Amino acid sequence: MATFFRLRIVRDLGIALIVVFGAGSIAMLLAHVSPVDGFYALFDGAFGTTSEFAETLVSATALLFPALGVALAFRAGLFNIGAEGQLVLGGLAAGVTGVLLPGPPVVSIVATLLAGALAGGLWGGIAGFLKSRFGANEVIATLMLNVIAGLLATYAVDGPLHFASANEGETPLLAKTAWLPAIVPDTRLTISIVIALLLALVLWFAFNRTVFGFELRAAGGAPEAARRAGVDLRRIALQAMTYSGAIAGLGGATLVTGVLHRFNTGLSPGYGFVAIAVALVGNLEPVWIAVAAFAFGILQNGALSMQAEASVPRDVVNVIEGLVIIALAGRRYIAAQRTT
Amino acid sequence: MSEPLLALRGIRKRFGTVQALDGVDLDLNAGEIHALVGENGAGKSTLAAIAFGAEIPDEGRLETKAVVGLVHQHFQLVDRLNVWENVLLGREPKRGWRIDRVAARERVRALATGHGLDVDPDAIVETLPIGVQQRVELLRELERAPGVLLLDEPTAALAPTEIASFFRTITALARSGTAVLIVTHKLQEVIDYSTRVTVMRSGRVVARYVTTATSTGEIARAMVGGELPPLAERAPTTPATRLRARNLSAGSSGGLVDGTFEVRAGEIVGVAGVEGNGQSALADALAGVISYTGTIELDGVPLTAAVTPAARLASGVRVIPQDRRTEALVLGWSIAENVALGRHQTAPIRRGSILDRAAVLAAAKDVIERFGVRPSDPQTAVAALSGGNQQKIVVGRALGAQPKLLVAYQPTRGIDVGAAALVRSRLIEARNAGVAVLLISFELDEIFALADRVLVMSGGRFVGTFDRATVDRGRVGALMAGGR
Repeated sequence: MATFFRLRIVRDLGIALIVVFGAGSIAMLLAHVSPVDGFYALFDGAFGTTSEFAETLVSATALLFPALGVALAFRAGLFNIGAEGQLVLGGLAAGVTGVLLPGPPVVSIVATLLAGALAGGLWGGIAGFLKSRFGANEVIATLMLNVIAGLLATYAVDGPLHFASANEGETPLLAKTAWLPAIVPDTRLTISIVIALLLALVLWFAFNRTVFGFELRAAGGAPEAARRAGVDLRRIALQAMTYSGAIAGLGGATLVTGVLHRFNTGLSPGYGFVAIAVALVGNLEPVWIAVAAFAFGILQNGALSMQAEASVPRDVVNVIEGLVIIALAGRRYIAAQRTT
Repeated sequence: MSEPLLALRGIRKRFGTVQALDGVDLDLNAGEIHALVGENGAGKSTLAAIAFGAEIPDEGRLETKAVVGLVHQHFQLVDRLNVWENVLLGREPKRGWRIDRVAARERVRALATGHGLDVDPDAIVETLPIGVQQRVELLRELERAPGVLLLDEPTAALAPTEIASFFRTITALARSGTAVLIVTHKLQEVIDYSTRVTVMRSGRVVARYVTTATSTGEIARAMVGGELPPLAERAPTTPATRLRARNLSAGSSGGLVDGTFEVRAGEIVGVAGVEGNGQSALADALAGVISYTGTIELDGVPLTAAVTPAARLASGVRVIPQDRRTEALVLGWSIAENVALGRHQTAPIRRGSILDRAAVLAAAKDVIERFGVRPSDPQTAVAALSGGNQQKIVVGRALGAQPKLLVAYQPTRGIDVGAAALVRSRLIEARNAGVAVLLISFELDEIFALADRVLVMSGGRFVGTFDRATVDRGRVGALMAGGR
């Protein structure tokens, strides 16, 4: 049975790739670009050199954290679209903590990451609290909290948390002791990717082996049946949103300690939103989400070089990105049709 | 005889490894009410879906020139829309680019009156009782003036009075020349209302009867391929009070009013009544999912409305809920995970914060074996099981938890005679072993077969109590109907 399933996934992914390459080629031909050049540039940009490959993994990691957070909430039936805000505030907390609490490397790193997770968890927890206490719709709550988070971060770094040594919209550079160690020299690829992958394994274990994960999935799969089976839906909503936010916040903290080495209000170009697509394409399964994040990482970095090296217009690049999502989401849709 | 309105010839259909239909022939003639019976998973619903055109057979032909209508077992209505919007969905009368609401309303009203179906065209569907939703579902099909009407377990959710009026409508339709196919588990209805019977087993037709020349016994034997096993023996028990409810009121309209009763360990108390007379509120109050006033005591320990479902489960209260698809099961999950649901907070399934997979599997195998669940692979998704097998899982998981009190709401709803007999026997065995069983059922036969005592509900109140030895069927029926 397991073999059969894997084969089907392989076959479906194959079809998805054919769709992407086929339709992507047509789009490029319409834009008078050679598809061979275009796709070569895509993979060259993503894998061509060590540093390019490292950058692809950096992008993948940046997406993986919030995608895992989003997936955790989705599994509980909660549409957390607030990963962006949770990530930004996590980054802010990490940036400030790192400046205020310089210490020996390990302590400093752990403190900044924890601060990020706490801030993100708090932000997600607000939506969870509103949901469990008042039944407030989490989509609307997290959407609005995103806006508040962005403005709050801007206000904070230019107002009460402004440091004389920092530029506008930023915190000062962190002491090197607070930087995440690189795992490939002279690149921005740090142990954050290891943390993210470990987290994916932890989530897999939590979903499939723990009572908490069981209750979480029950609440998401059939809330009324779960309630009657003794699952406290309010507690699950609060916990799921808090943990979801904490994971996104941790992601923001690793961007600060690993990539930028300071908090900047432009920290995220929308990782928290793309993460929703990553989580869905990954079937809300942590291991597949990691695969999906890698694919999105390839796209993000390859797209730049498609524009730069092969003169593929930005619009066509967008079309190809959209095709990937449709092809992968279509696989889910077809699978759903087969089972009902 | 003239040509059939619909003919199926040599139909074969396979789903994965299951041969759902294996060479089936079926004719539907104008003016007949044709009953299609068989155990869960015999292929009845698949055959109906093929006749309707919703499924394509792997082999065989479907011949029909008539408009074919299908009323689903699980209603296909838009809950938030009103009755006429549902009935006319996609076929709304227009005036320019707008829907002609006046004409639409009148059309549905005239259609309903013409068929003797009492429905308010402006009522929102989700506010209607199940019996009325059924009428809406039927009206939607009738609106297309079908020559062939397929009904998939149409009376599974209806009260006895609703069933009678439903069949008046169907009989009139047949008389006017419609060919009607009814997929059902209720053999008495087959005898009372159909003209021909086709019996299926394991994807094949095993018997065809003219209704006037057969009996429920003969049909049941054909369905199961032999004699039905007798119900489990009732062993003598020494009942001691386990559940005591005093002045229990719950739910708003159609709720439970001022109920005082007790259920003793080692007895089955049957609650007889027409659906919608407070039974849901009774079950929900005991499950702890709605608030209530009055007192409930379990073995002398009070259970206030604030006691959570989790705490009730821990103290040995198990409720088989009304709707297995939304209130009992996670359809996307495996059998094993569904068996664990509701038993996951206590040992042996819970081990610290870990779910013990071996214990989950053992519990699932136990249920599968004791209840003969098919398919027997514990990793099968519950959504892929027939209704009867789903119900076996719900009942099996409740009994497997060794409850002190079992509240069973329609435990055999919509399942075949073989599965129903099995579930009933298991309930008697639980009673023999000292479980206090509260059986809420709308089938009087079931209550009389199982209950040690019978409580009658009407208008949300308990209006009569009978002992097994002295129960008077006529009196119970009269009290159910609101008489004195």
